[in-house]
Amino acid sequence: MGLPYTDSVALETLTIRSGSNQLVVTKNSALISYNGQIILLPSPIVREDNRWLAPVEFLTTGLSRMTPIEFRYRSGTSRLFVGNIEAPELEMNAQTLGPITRLTLRSAIPINVGVKREDPTKAILSLNVSPLDPARERIDHRDRLLHSVVFDDSDGDSKIVLDITREVSDLRITPADNNRIFFVDLLRKGEPVTAAPATEAPATTAAKPDSVAPDRRVRVVVIDPGHGGMDSGAKTSAGIEKDLTLALARRLRTVLQMRLGTTVLLTRDADIALDNEARSAVANNNQANLFISLHIGYSGNKMESTSSIFIMKEGFGETVSQTSAGNQLFLPWYLGYRTHRQGSAAAATMLQEELIKQISGWKFAIRTAPLAVLGSATMPSLLFEIGNLNNNVNAQTLADNGFQARLVNTMVDAIQRFSESPQAAAN
Amino acid sequence: MPRHIKIGLIAMGIGLAVAMGFFVNIVGRVQSMMKNDREIEENPFKAPQPLYAPTDPPVAVKLFFPAASGEPLLTAEDEKIFKSGELANRAKQILQKLQEGPHSESMFPSLPKDTKVQDLFISEQGIAFINFSNTVALNHPGGVLNELATVYSIVDSLTYNLPEIKEVKILIGGVEKETLAGHCLLLLPLSMDLSLTNVVPREEKTASLR
Repeated sequence: MGLPYTDSVALETLTIRSGSNQLVVTKNSALISYNGQIILLPSPIVREDNRWLAPVEFLTTGLSRMTPIEFRYRSGTSRLFVGNIEAPELEMNAQTLGPITRLTLRSAIPINVGVKREDPTKAILSLNVSPLDPARERIDHRDRLLHSVVFDDSDGDSKIVLDITREVSDLRITPADNNRIFFVDLLRKGEPVTAAPATEAPATTAAKPDSVAPDRRVRVVVIDPGHGGMDSGAKTSAGIEKDLTLALARRLRTVLQMRLGTTVLLTRDADIALDNEARSAVANNNQANLFISLHIGYSGNKMESTSSIFIMKEGFGETVSQTSAGNQLFLPWYLGYRTHRQGSAAAATMLQEELIKQISGWKFAIRTAPLAVLGSATMPSLLFEIGNLNNNVNAQTLADNGFQARLVNTMVDAIQRFSESPQAAAN
Repeated sequence: MPRHIKIGLIAMGIGLAVAMGFFVNIVGRVQSMMKNDREIEENPFKAPQPLYAPTDPPVAVKLFFPAASGEPLLTAEDEKIFKSGELANRAKQILQKLQEGPHSESMFPSLPKDTKVQDLFISEQGIAFINFSNTVALNHPGGVLNELATVYSIVDSLTYNLPEIKEVKILIGGVEKETLAGHCLLLLPLSMDLSLTNVVPREEKTASLR
C-alpha cells in the first residue's frame, strides 16, 4: 500500500506511518496503538520468520485508519472485501417443508440462477453475478434430501454447491420478488409435485409488481406459539390455546417464507412446554430482527371479542436498573427489551393499522404490560393476543382456515411494512 | 296416691332430668366440636384476629374490577372498609372485598375461584408483599389481558386507596414466581397503573380543581 514503516527487531514493534498518523503494533500483543489510542484486537499479533501475522480485524479496525482503502469483513466467513467493491448481499437458508426441502436464496439485486446436477449427490446452482457477499458461506441442514449448502466463488464465478442425497428426483427453481428471491425445491422420488406445500404460491406473489426495490431489513423472524405441553393455556369446549397458536405460527412461517423469503424460526414446532426465557432466547440466539409471541385471549365475558397487541410496559424495571447500576455488577436480564422499545412500538402500530384495515368486525388495541416473554428479547418484539376463546363466535372464526389465512396474510403485510421502515433499520 | 306410684314418678322425674341434661350436653358438645373444626379449617395455627375494632370509623375506597365492556380494562366500584389502626389490616380488608367480587353486573370478579390471602406484610419502603394461595395461579382461566386485569386489580386497589403502599409484590404459595399464570412478570414489585382504569390519578384530580 506504499505506506512507510519501521520494523524494529530490538523493540519487537512495527510502526506504520501515514502523514502525521502512526500505528504501532507489538509482538505477541492484541493491543495496537493508533496515535496513542489503544485498540484491542480479538487475538495477538505474532511474528514468525520475519513476517508479522495479524488477525483480519487488524485491517478493518487498524490499517483502515491509515489508508483511504476500505476493508469489509463479515466475521465467520473467509471473505474480505478490499476497496470500494460493489458486492450485493446474498442470504441462504434451508428448511424441511414436509416432503420437500426448500433452499431460499435472497439477493439484494435481481440475479439469475441456473441449476446443473453433476452426479446423483451433487448439484450446482450457478449465479450470474460476481462478486456476491454471502451472509453465510455454508449451511449444514441435514435431512433426507439435503446434507449441506456451500457458497463457492474460488474460481471467480459465484456458485452454490448442494450436497444432496440419492432420494432427490428433481430440483425445481421458482423465482419471486423480481428475481431477488429464489426458492430451490428438492423433490423426492415418487412424490407428486403438487404434494409440495405452497409451491404454487411463490409464482403468484412473484407476479405481484414490486415497483421500488425495497431494502428489507427484517431477515430473521422468530415466532413463538404460546403455551405447549402440559401448559395448554386457555381451554374451552371450542378449542385449546396451545393448538391454535401452533397452527397459526406454522401458517405464518410458510407465508413469510413464501412472500418475503424471510428466515423464520419457531420457538416450538411441536406440543412441548417451554419457559418464557427459553422462548426469547431462541430469538436472541438467532439474531432475530423481529420476535412475535402468539396467544389466544380468554375473557370471563362471553360477549367480549377484543384482540390486543402487547409491547413491554415502558419504564418497567427502570428504578431497579437505576439503583443497581452503581452498586451491583449484574442488571436483571429481563430488561433487555429496553434496547428496542421504539422499534417494538413501531411494529405494533403497523400491525394494528393493517389489522384494522383488513380484518373487519374485530377490535385491535395496542397495550403495554410487564410480560415475561418480552422482557428479555433484545429486538423489536410484541405479543399478539387474538380474540376470546370463551366467545363461541370468536372461537369458531379462529379455527376457520379461511380466517387464519387472511389473518396471517395481514400480519405478513405488516411485517413487510415494518421491514421497509426506518424503525427496523435502527436495530 | 299409693306409695309405690309416688316412688315410681320420682324415679321417672330423676331419669328424665338426667336424660335431658345428657341430651343438652351432647348438643353442646357437638356444637363445640363443629365450632372447633371450623376454626381449625380457617386457621390452623392461631385464632383469627379481627381486621378492625368496633370503634373504627368507615372509610370509602375504590375497588378495581374487570369491566364487562372491556374498555377500560378495569373500572372502579365504591366500597367501604373500616379504618383500622394497622395498615396491613386495611390492606387485608381491601383484598377481602376483592375476593368477594363486584356488586355491579357491569363488572367481573378479578380473583380466580378459591383464591386466599395466606399472608400480607408491608415493608418500610412501602412495598406490600402478598402471599396468595396456589389457587390464584391454578384456577386462573388464562389469557394475557385477563391475567393483567387480575394483577392490576390487586395492585391498583391497594396503591390507590392506601397511599402508604407504593408498590405491590405478589408471592404465590409462599414463593416468588416468575409470572402469575404464565404471562405477567411478578419478579419485580409493581406500582400503580391507572391508565388501565377509568379513574384519574389523585394528583391530576387536585391539579385540575385548582
